[in-house]
Parts: sequence; C-alpha cells; structure tokens
Amino acid sequence: MKKLLLAGLVLAGLSVSAHAEGVVIGTILPLSGASATVGEDQRRGIELALDQINASGGVLGKPLTIVTEDSAGRTATALDAAKKLVTVDKVPVVLGEFSSGVTIPVAEYLVQQGRSHINIGSSGLKIRTIGAGQFSVLGLDDVASDFAAQDVYASGARKVAIIVPNNGYGQGMASAFEKKFTALGGTVTSALLYTEGQTSYRRELQQLEAGSPDAYIYSAYGKESATINREGFELGLNDKPWYGLYLTMCISDSEPHYVEGQIGMDLNYIGPNGKGYQDAYKKKFGTDFTSTFNGFAYDGVMLVAAAINKAQSTDPAKINAAIVELGKDYDGVTGPIVLDADGQRSAQPYLHLKVVDGKAVVAP
Amino acid sequence: MLQFLIDVLMRACDLALVAIALSAVYSLMKFPNVALVQYATAGALLAILFQRSGVPVWLAIGCGVGLTGLIGVLLNEFIFSRMLKSGSATAMIGSLAVSMIISAVFLLAVGPTATRFALPISRPMRILGARITEWQLWSFGVVAGALLLFALLYFRTDLGRQMRATATNEVLADATGINTRRMKALIVLISGLLAALGGVAIALKGEISIQTGLDLLLPVFAAAILGGLGNPFGAVAGALVIAVAETIVTNTNFGPLLGRAVAFLPAAYATAGSFLLLVATLLWRPRGIFVSEVKRV
Repeated sequence: MKKLLLAGLVLAGLSVSAHAEGVVIGTILPLSGASATVGEDQRRGIELALDQINASGGVLGKPLTIVTEDSAGRTATALDAAKKLVTVDKVPVVLGEFSSGVTIPVAEYLVQQGRSHINIGSSGLKIRTIGAGQFSVLGLDDVASDFAAQDVYASGARKVAIIVPNNGYGQGMASAFEKKFTALGGTVTSALLYTEGQTSYRRELQQLEAGSPDAYIYSAYGKESATINREGFELGLNDKPWYGLYLTMCISDSEPHYVEGQIGMDLNYIGPNGKGYQDAYKKKFGTDFTSTFNGFAYDGVMLVAAAINKAQSTDPAKINAAIVELGKDYDGVTGPIVLDADGQRSAQPYLHLKVVDGKAVVAP
Repeated sequence: MLQFLIDVLMRACDLALVAIALSAVYSLMKFPNVALVQYATAGALLAILFQRSGVPVWLAIGCGVGLTGLIGVLLNEFIFSRMLKSGSATAMIGSLAVSMIISAVFLLAVGPTATRFALPISRPMRILGARITEWQLWSFGVVAGALLLFALLYFRTDLGRQMRATATNEVLADATGINTRRMKALIVLISGLLAALGGVAIALKGEISIQTGLDLLLPVFAAAILGGLGNPFGAVAGALVIAVAETIVTNTNFGPLLGRAVAFLPAAYATAGSFLLLVATLLWRPRGIFVSEVKRV
C-alpha cells in the first residue's frame, strides 16, 4: 500500500513538472474573434520578449515558458482559460487580455486566486479598483478621454455623436469624453453604446446621423469596426469627419478605402528606447507594427521576467513586491513606465493620428 | 420617408425568403423546421467559401445554394421524416437540435467572426435623399426574383397545383393520384433553396456570421405565424409587417416628445417589436392575421 502511495506521489510529481525546465507564466489573448488582429500583434510582442529573455539567460537561470490561451474575445472563454492557467499550469502571473470587458473579470479572478495580473491592452477605468496584484503597463481611459476631447475640440467640431461598445471600456470612455467635451463648450448630440458581435450597425448609425453632428467619434474592436466603417460609408456618413478613439484598433481590419482621411488618437507606442525593438519586430515579422499594442505586451513580459529575477522566487506575493519596486522607474520600449499606488501606469503620452494611404500616421 | 421605406424593404428581404420557406415546409410536412434558419447561414457561408476558392460570385452563389438544398433534402430524408413518425413536436425539437449541431459545425469551419463576399466597393447612390448601394439593389433583386419564381411555380404550374392540393388535404390528394411523397421531397428541396438564397441576400449587402441563423429565428417565426403558418405568401406579408414594426421601433426619433434633439430606443430593442407582434397575434389571431376562413375539419 505504501509503495503504491509512493508511486502515486512520484507520478503526481511528474505530471506537475511537465514544464519542469523553468518558470512558466500565462497569457490570455484574443487570437480569434473581433479583435484577432490586435491579439496576434500582442502575441508577436510577447514572442519577441520571450526570445530576448531566453537569449540572455532566461529567468532564475532557466528558460522561461509562456503558455498562451485564446479568449476568442469572449469573457466566458477567457475565464475558462484563466482557470486552466491557475489550476493546471499553476502559473504565478497571467498577462492579457485586450477588451476591458474581458480583462476586468479575468483580473478579478486572478487576484482572488492570489496570482498576479498584468494588463497589457485594456484601458477601462474599473481596472484601477481591482486591487493589489493587478498592474497596468498602459494608461487608463481617464487620461485618454481628456486628450481625445481636447483634440476633437481643437479640430473645430462642436457637435459630435459618439458610438462605442456597450462594455466597461465603452461606457467609461463615452461618459468621460462627454463630460470633458461639454466642459470645453461642445455638445454631444448622442452617445450610443452598440451591442458587440452584430453583423450590422446600420440602425445605430442612422440614429447617430439624426442629430446631424459635425463629427462622429467612434471606437470599436477590429472586425466590428470594419462593419461600422463600411456601413458608415454606404450611408454616406463619411462626408463628415470621423475620429477614432484608439485609431489603430479601429482601422486594423477595415477596408482602407472606407477609413481614408479619418483622424484619431492612440497610445504613444514607442518610447525613446524603442528603436531597437521596432527594428527587431520588422526583422522578425517583415512588416511595420500592425497595431499599437505589441509594445505593451513586450514590456509586460519583460517587466514580469525582471520582477521574477529580482524576487528570486515564483511566489506571486514576492513577484508583486518586486513589480512595485521596479515600477518606481522602469524603462520600457513604450517609454518610461512609472506605476502609481494602484499599480497603474501613471503617465501615458498619446498621439494624434490621421489615416493616409490606408495607414495611421502621426499628424501635427 | 423614402429612407424609411428602403429600411423596411431591406429588413423585410432579410426575413421574407426564410419565412416563406418555413411556411411552405409547414404546409406540407406539418412541422416548423427550425433548421431552416441555419440553411440561410449555410447557403451564404458555402457561397462565400466557393468564392474564396476562386469561383466567380454568381456561380459561387449557385453552388452554395444548390448544395444547401441538397443538404436540406438529405437531412429531411434521414432525420426529420423519421422523427415526424413520432409527432410534429418531436420533429420540431429534433430540428432545433440539428440546427445547434449545424451551428457547432460552422464554428469549427469558419470561426466566430463575421465574413462577407469579396465584392467591389460600391458608393451609395442618392435617390430623393435616401441612400442605397448597388449591392443592396442586387440583394433586393435576388429576393424579388426568388419570390416571383416561386409564386409562378406555386400558382401557375401543374406542380404548384399538386403541392397546394397536398397541403390542403393529403389523403384526398393521394386518392386523386398525386404522388404526395414526391411533392413533399420537392417542397423540402425548394424550401432549402429559398432559405439559402435568403442567407445569400443578407450576405450580399452585409455580413454573415454563425450567429445570423439564430438571430433570424424569432423574427422569421413571427413573420410566418403572422402570415398564418402554412400559408407561404402570407409569410411574406408577415415579414413586411415585422420589418415595419422593427423600423418604427428603432428609427423613430422620440426627441421632440422629451424636449431633446435626439432620443432613440436602443437598436437592440428591435427584436422586442417582433416579440410583441408575435405575442399579440398568438393571443388574438392564433391562425395568422391573413387567414379569415374557419378551420376545415
């Protein structure tokens, strides 16, 4: 009997140490679904970080392993993935997802389970209140919407209509934008929250048009945005300016013809030290950045690796303490990352962009 | 005003072909085949896949629709007609189960995101302030053409007369020498083709996803029931009524009533319009609003 038990224990030990060679961390990304294009770009950033880490000795002296799970852009799938990462792969840290509506519940689950969560792509304001063990390497929407409202006002538009997804991100963004834009002296004719995953947004667009705005402010995930841009074009709404909140996300899957001339804001995705990274990306994948989000994924992984090395442990509590310590002044490829008391990136520069020849370029 | 009419027509076109297929199948088989809404998605998805493999668009549509009709006949032969022996409720639940399986097959085959035909970009034309694109017109054309052909077949040919006879009284039709078994197989094929064309019409002017079929389920049933289940052309009128209701719900500006410039009901409430009509019809005119005759015994 004792022998049997012993054999069982040995077997159990073997199965746990399936990734025995070194530290394992997890990521959850929208590799399919509406945001698949951005998800793939995040994965590229992560891959570059992994290459870099393992080429320079790995973590705790052993190669780092990253287990990547697909969320399909859906909360339920992402939560299942998070449970799998916690219970099967037993990872101390999970990075991801992209949409705030998915990231927030995943982060809440991880924090409850005593694991660390690094937000590499979401900007919903509710992320701030999730609690200790949750960190963001990009700025949240309070800063973004202020920037956008001023930018739109400066462009001369006074009456605008807003369409954003009906989730944590969209609600936060729309209300913060409206507040700031009204304070500046503009009016919002209508702020509409669209239901995700529809195959047509004609009705929503016609409702926006009824307020005869000077400009349309929109934000939508890749493939949904493609539908909105096409139908906006078919309804002739593109005779007014369109302003994309996180423009590269809004145009990532759209037909270039439909989005030509759109303006918008996005994260400043490349910092003073980002040149080498940009070259490495181009060399490895043979294209320019497909979105602004790969650099944040890269920084997230590099920060975690540095934190584990600093903590000399894979205990989430020790990793958290190390991230707090590193986050006082961390130099990322997306610029200096300084985390505030809530673990959120405190300063985030933004860019004013314009779509020229199908590409979002920095406009004065 | 013209824009309102166009919106109504576009929505009615989404529903009309699937609704008429549902009603036609019901008239002969005596069970509402839920899987028809999935045939719509299947027809469009197959056509899109054919087009991607290099087939010209109209040929791809022909192949996709034909293949879907065939699948419909096979499913009916091997599954639904067997279930029908134990009652129409069994067959209906069975068709619901089959449509869920089809949905899962789509998920594996094309994934959760919406797809569309690769069509040239069409600028909107302005007609009296209303905007319409070339592909929206083609989509109208497909639906109108299919309806016309089916009407000719149903009312002007011997085959159509035999179908109507079978629908009215199967035993009597059998006794007069009509091959009712053949009529049933034929109507199953036709309904599959019509539903698939309905899906194609949706895809021509927009997008199709694995969710499209389930999104159609409620409005299509509402249209078919409104028109009197088993009365195919009543279903087309039903589709128009549903389209008017949905468009009124989402396109009416309640702003002036509330002292604001713009106030609309959320577009997601459109389905509430068809729900409401369905419940009202089932309460007051359970045999449909276009049926005046008393039930023949």
